[in-house]
Amino acid sequence: MTKNLTDRFFSAALWMILVLLALMLVPFVFSQSVVSLINEMLIMALAGCALNLMLGYGGMVSFGPAGLYAVGAYSTAILLTRYGAPFFIAVLAAPVIAAIIGTIVGWFCVRRSAVYFALLTLAFAQIIWTVIFEWYDFTNGDNGIVSIPIPEVLYSIRNIYYFSLAFVAICIFVLWRIVRSPFGATLQSIRENPMRTEFIAVPVRRYQLAAFVISSFFLGIAGSLFCVFAGSVFPDYAHWVKSTDMLVVCLLGGIHNFAGPIIGSSVYILISKVIAKNTTYWMFFLGIIIVFLVLYMRNGIAGFAAEKLSRWKNRLQGTNG
Amino acid sequence: MTLEAFTGQALSGISVGMVLFLVAAGLSIIFGTLKVLNLAHGTIYMVGGFLCYLLTSKLVQIPGAFWWTLFIAPVAVAAIGGVIEVLLLRRIYAQEMLYQYILTFALILIIGDACKFFFGVSYKTVAVPWPVNGNVSLWGLSFPLYNLFLIGCGIFVFLALSALIRYTSLGRIVRAVTHNREMASALGINVPRVYTGVFMLGSYLAGLAGTLMPPMSVVALGSDMAVIIECFIIVVIGGLGSLPGAFLGAIILGLLNAFGIYIIPKLALAFPFMLMIVILIIRPWGLLGKPE
Repeated sequence: MTKNLTDRFFSAALWMILVLLALMLVPFVFSQSVVSLINEMLIMALAGCALNLMLGYGGMVSFGPAGLYAVGAYSTAILLTRYGAPFFIAVLAAPVIAAIIGTIVGWFCVRRSAVYFALLTLAFAQIIWTVIFEWYDFTNGDNGIVSIPIPEVLYSIRNIYYFSLAFVAICIFVLWRIVRSPFGATLQSIRENPMRTEFIAVPVRRYQLAAFVISSFFLGIAGSLFCVFAGSVFPDYAHWVKSTDMLVVCLLGGIHNFAGPIIGSSVYILISKVIAKNTTYWMFFLGIIIVFLVLYMRNGIAGFAAEKLSRWKNRLQGTNG
Repeated sequence: MTLEAFTGQALSGISVGMVLFLVAAGLSIIFGTLKVLNLAHGTIYMVGGFLCYLLTSKLVQIPGAFWWTLFIAPVAVAAIGGVIEVLLLRRIYAQEMLYQYILTFALILIIGDACKFFFGVSYKTVAVPWPVNGNVSLWGLSFPLYNLFLIGCGIFVFLALSALIRYTSLGRIVRAVTHNREMASALGINVPRVYTGVFMLGSYLAGLAGTLMPPMSVVALGSDMAVIIECFIIVVIGGLGSLPGAFLGAIILGLLNAFGIYIIPKLALAFPFMLMIVILIIRPWGLLGKPE
C-alpha cells in the first residue's frame, strides 16, 4: 500500500467534493450580489473547461468559442420566447443545437492547424455574430432578446444559483471523466505530436473534430445557463472579445491543469468586478496583469500552485518516511 | 446603379482598401519575419489616428499642419512599436503561439484604455487638408480628391516597400532572416535588431494608415478591433507574409465591402468572412502566398 494520508489529502476527488460542499453553502453565507457573482463564475468556469478541452488537451487554439456559446444562449432564448417550449426542453436543446453547429464549423476548421485553425474559428464566430446581428426577424438583431420567460421558481437568486450549480457540477464532472478517458489521453498525444499520433493509426482529424463537438456541446450549455441567469441575450455574446475573455480565463488559471479554467474564471471575474468598481480603466489593469502572467507565470495560477503544492507534499512525505 | 454611383462606390471602396492595405502590410511583414500574429496591430493603427487628431489640433497655427503630422505621427508610432518589441515581445518568441496571442491581446486592453484616458470617448474628426480637399472631375464624373490621394499613397507605399525588400541590402537582410533565422545569425546578422527593425517598420505602416484615415472617417475607440479583423481577412486572402498578396487582398476586400451591400444586404457583413473561409479551405496559403 503506497496510498498514505498525504496522498489521500491531495487526491482530486476529495477536493472536488469539498469545493462542491462549500459552493452549496454559499447562498446561506453570502449576500445576493455575491451569490450572483459566484453564479457568473460558475458559468464562466464551465465555458473555460469546455474551451480548455481543445486548448489545453487538444492543443487547438480556438478564437471562436463565443460563437458556440452564443448559439446555446440564443437557442434557449428563441425556444422560450418564440415557440413557448417547455423550460427544460429549451435548456437541454441548447447544447444539442450548439453541438450540431459545432460539427459543421469543426468539420471545416480541423482541416487546418495552428494559426489557420485559429483564424478559421474566428471567421466562423464572426459569421455567427453577423447572423445574430442582422437577422432581426428571428434573433431580434442588436436589440437582443429581453425578458425571457423563465419559470417562477427561478426568480429567486438562490434557486437559480442551485440550478446553475447542479448543471455546472455535472458538466465539469463529465468533462473530467472525458479528459481522464482513453479519448482524453489520445487527444493529449495529438497535442504533443500530431504526426506521430497519426503514425500509430489514430485518425487525428476525427479526434480533433470530436473534441470540437464535445467542446461546442458544453459551451452550448454554458451559454444556455447564462441566458437563464441573465434573462436576456445579446449579439455581443458571440463577439470575439468574449472569446478572448474565455481564452484569458483558461490561461490565467493554467491550461495544463484541469482545474485551471475554474480558478481562472473565479479570479478573472473577481478582478474585473473589483477593478471596475474602483476605476473606469479596468481593462488597463487587467492588461497589465495578463502581461505579468505571460512573462512570469506561464502555467497560470493552477500551475504555480501545483508546483508549490507538490514541493510541500514531497517535504511532508520526506518527514514521514 | 448609374455609372457615376458605380465608379464612386468602387473608388471609395478601393481607397478604404488602400488604407487597410497599409495596416495589413505591416501585420503581414511582422508575421512573415517574426512569426508573431500581432493582435494589437489594429490598436497601433488607432494610436496613429489619435496622434493625428492631437497633432493637427495642436499645430493648427502652422500652415500645412496635417503634412507635418503625416511626417511625425507614424515615426512616433514606430517608436512605440520599438519599445513594445524590446520590452515585451522579445521575451516570448520561443514560447507557444498561444502566449503571443494573449500578450498582444493584453496590449489591446492596455493601449486601448490609455487612449481612452488621454483622449476620452468622443469621436474625433480631422478636416481634409489642403490641397487634397474638394472634388476632381474625371471623364465627366466627380470624385473626392482625398480618395484619389489615398489610392496614390497605397500604390506608392506598395512599390516603395517592394523595392526596399527586393533591391536594397537592408531588404536582403530581412529576407535572409525571414528565410532562415539561425543561418542568418551564423552569418553575422544581428537578428534581434532586425526583429526590432521589422516590428518598427510594421508599426510605422500602421501609424501611417492611422494618420491618413481620420480626414475620411473619424477617430474612435474600438476602431482597432474592426481594423484588425479586416486585416486578418486581407492577409488570409492574399497570403500571410506576402506583400503583393496584401495589396490584392486589400483591393478585393475594399470592393467586397463597397458592393456586398448591393448583392445581399443582410449578408454583406458576413461576405468577407465567407471568402476567408473558402480561401482557407481550398488555398490556405492565400492567393499570392507560397505553400509551406
